[in-house]
Amino acid sequence: MTWTGFVVRNLLRHPLRTALTTLSVALSIFLVCAVLTLPAALNALFERTASSTRISVHHEAGLSYWLPLSYVQRVKAIPGVAAVNQFTWFGGIYDEPRNMFPNFAVDPETVAEVWPDYRIDPGALERFRRIRNGALVGEETFRRFGWRLGQEVTLRGTIFPVNLTLQIVGVIPASGNPVMLWFHRTYLEEAMEPYGGLRLVGMLWLRADRPEAVDGILRQVDAMFRNAEAQVTAETEQAFFASFLSSFRELVRLVLAVGVLVVGAVVLIAANTAAMGVRERIPEIAILKSLGFRRRPILVALLAESTLIGLVGGILGAGGAYGILTALALAGKTGAGGFLGPLSGFRMSPQVALQGVAISVIVGFVAGAIPARNGARLNVVEALRRLF
Amino acid sequence: MLYRALLPMIEVRDVSRWYRRGVDVVHALDHVSLHIPAGRFVALMGPSGSGKSTLLHLLAGLDRPDSGEVIVAGEPLSQLDDDALADWRASHVGLVFQFFNLLPVLNAMENVELPLLLGGLPRGERRRRAEAALGAVGLLHRRQHRPNELSGGEQQRVAIARAIVTDPDLLVADEPTGDLDAKSATAVLALLRELNRAFDKTIVMVTHDPRAEAFVDRVIRLDKGVLVDSGEAA
Amino acid sequence: MGVPLRYNLRNILVRARTSAFSAGGIALVVAATMLLAALVGGLQRMLVAAGEPRNLIVMRKGATNDGSSQLPREAAQILRAMPGVASTPEGTPLASAQLVNQPFIRVPGGGRENVLVRGVEPIAFRVHDRVQLVEGRIFRPNLGEIVVGRGAARRYGLRVGSIADFGRRQWTVVGVFDSGGTAFDSEIWADVGDVQGDTRRQGYSAVRLRVAAGIDPSDMIRRIDRDGRFTLEAKPETVYYQQQAETANALYVLVLTLAVVMATGATFGALNTMYAAVSSRTAEIGTLRALGFGRGAILLSFLTESLLLAGGGLLAGLVLALGAMVAVNTLLRGVAFSMMTFSVATVLLEPTPIGVLLGVGFAAAIGVAGGLGPAWRAANLRVIEALHRA
Repeated sequence: MTWTGFVVRNLLRHPLRTALTTLSVALSIFLVCAVLTLPAALNALFERTASSTRISVHHEAGLSYWLPLSYVQRVKAIPGVAAVNQFTWFGGIYDEPRNMFPNFAVDPETVAEVWPDYRIDPGALERFRRIRNGALVGEETFRRFGWRLGQEVTLRGTIFPVNLTLQIVGVIPASGNPVMLWFHRTYLEEAMEPYGGLRLVGMLWLRADRPEAVDGILRQVDAMFRNAEAQVTAETEQAFFASFLSSFRELVRLVLAVGVLVVGAVVLIAANTAAMGVRERIPEIAILKSLGFRRRPILVALLAESTLIGLVGGILGAGGAYGILTALALAGKTGAGGFLGPLSGFRMSPQVALQGVAISVIVGFVAGAIPARNGARLNVVEALRRLF
Repeated sequence: MLYRALLPMIEVRDVSRWYRRGVDVVHALDHVSLHIPAGRFVALMGPSGSGKSTLLHLLAGLDRPDSGEVIVAGEPLSQLDDDALADWRASHVGLVFQFFNLLPVLNAMENVELPLLLGGLPRGERRRRAEAALGAVGLLHRRQHRPNELSGGEQQRVAIARAIVTDPDLLVADEPTGDLDAKSATAVLALLRELNRAFDKTIVMVTHDPRAEAFVDRVIRLDKGVLVDSGEAA
Repeated sequence: MGVPLRYNLRNILVRARTSAFSAGGIALVVAATMLLAALVGGLQRMLVAAGEPRNLIVMRKGATNDGSSQLPREAAQILRAMPGVASTPEGTPLASAQLVNQPFIRVPGGGRENVLVRGVEPIAFRVHDRVQLVEGRIFRPNLGEIVVGRGAARRYGLRVGSIADFGRRQWTVVGVFDSGGTAFDSEIWADVGDVQGDTRRQGYSAVRLRVAAGIDPSDMIRRIDRDGRFTLEAKPETVYYQQQAETANALYVLVLTLAVVMATGATFGALNTMYAAVSSRTAEIGTLRALGFGRGAILLSFLTESLLLAGGGLLAGLVLALGAMVAVNTLLRGVAFSMMTFSVATVLLEPTPIGVLLGVGFAAAIGVAGGLGPAWRAANLRVIEALHRA
């Protein structure tokens, strides 16, 4: 009989109680993992935009304000700028408004230079440059609609009074951007000729030739357009996304608060069980102490019980959450789509599962700490007196 | 043998002990003195509240007196702190209680082995000694059974096996037959007698059981914390 | 004859810590459920309630919301003159041409986000009669004056007389309006001409019109749809907001799932407590039975005790939830989130009937589920055995 064997046997003494406690821990950790996935998804988004050399330039007043097309040429002249591209939000709808994905008109020539970290296949880039109505699509969108390379898709315009028919020529890997669709700026301009043409652009993307040049470029852009017709804000890609997502953070905080409540409930339940267990075992603890066992081994044994429940419950809960969320993601059901925008697709990462297990072990430890300490500190003679 | 018989195993010198129960202060022992030579089988008797259990706890090193001195096998127990007392108990005393002796999650063999875990003996050696002890109480064939599979009398005998497995100087029993039927009680008393005779074990037993007088060498009586009969006959 | 209630109450109090833990778990479930329900309820209230029954919203065909739709000037004029559109007593058509813009605005305390600025004509206040001015006055045209919804005022720290900085210029707040907790509360309303100037646009985003009494709205919708001059489509406001609210409905399912899982966990906790209570009171139960209390009385007694615990948890949970709501509303100024239009709206947390019902329901369910098994066991104890253990 080993040390762990002893601990396990004590837990199995009341199988129903141990099972109930373990299950409630498991359920709560399941919830905690689901809740933790949200900020983890947000963080993952930030990590994706880790490019320290990409700069966004947009109208100071907001993304719905246009910039003159001439700005594109002007920023190319700034020293330190390796390449320039642009986004113009088209806002087209493929099938249903509910399934809308971001689609932009871009400059096909400098895609590789401005977004080298997206690792788009060179063959796809070449086709994109060559084919006038070609389109590059993010991996998830591509798979979601079951598109094939070479397929033609039509986007119905909402802001622009035109519909565009595009040919899918390549995929943007999910590590770059899983949802966007990019097509030629010139294709849109041509379609807009009957309506007066298009000489405006949504926003610019610059790539600095090295990280140290970024500050200088930001200042120069600022100075260049300070008194111009359209004032701009130039900021790094990280800053741009950070402000874009800032309003999500409050919601996330509320959800996290709920998670804390859940953990609190678990600690109470587990502490209850631990206290019950210790109380019932006062006679045994008295015997062990009378035989000569000291406080520490008794403390460790009692603590090990509650921590073990925490561990097993945590593995069950985190494992369950991982399994279910991954299955759901594969089935394509967890795109909460337009509501969460860039966060569509709750995929739980192994890190979150580990966090869940860690929390649960700590919970088990904390819940059992005080009952274990009280048990170990038991005064033998008083206990014996009360018992006999 | 004679020399050993004359050596006091246990010396109690002017010992007093009081404790609080709710709002009352109870004087459990009031200036008690006695000595018990080695190899004796002694019964501590007296009405409820006479202090016999308290005295037993002091002899076993479970408690310390408020005044006076308890010396067992030459060791002045009141000089030892809690941890030292625990260590001392582990190697010098065997304990048997009225109930709750055995850990329910361990089988008979494992229960008997418990005190040996404190001695740091290797597994093989522990097993041998435990088997010897169980054999001495006649329950080797039940060694795999858990307490809930043993009768009351068998449980007490396993407790006794555990008490002797470390070969202690002193065996202390607190109402060992209190919860047993007549037949089992007699068997347990006889076993204790046997151990006392065959292995020369000093045994101090607190009991209510009048049958016990027939099995012991000497009866010490207490009443309200005071020694009324030291039982030193011939 | 039943076991007196006092017996149960005393027992709960005597085992104070265990009871507190058990009730505490239930309290947390109730509180979490109510908070989540309040959040979703606020969302629904905001989205669904914004629709007037006899209003239509006319946008470009295929547009999902008025923030991303385009409607030419001429179309607005034709819609205004369309037969079937209701009028004010003075004869003005109740047709509101609107231009929706989403500029950046600074949030006091740091950060920037999109705010929804609705360029409107004064008639908009009649078409959206749920929108009521509570302070100040309506803006005058071409002066850069704005009125702000209550939620926007709170979130951006704007009052009558404040200067707001967004778009290409500064604006003066001349009034605050309230729309009964709907989405409009998070918006800023300005003169449509000013917004057109600011965004360099000449048309509108959408037109909202009221269908006259006696006219069938679907008839009007069909007429607009068939009009070959423009690619427009009309739908009732209620339907429009219903579609926006679909995501809120999906959230409800999520919230319910979360709450059920939590409640199950709390049930296990309650079960633990009650089973332990039964096993430690075995002797008492034997005594009660010996005295003549029947099995039914014992069953009822333990079930009642479990429900009493749950009741305590429910009360504590209600207090906790209300406290949290007040804290969120005053300290955080509501919960902010982005809707489909990419601008930010705030939701105030208020107790909702559904939340309270769910909370009570869960507490009762946990009380029953946690008490039934143990009560059954207590009722079926063999009397002699029970007494013997004393």
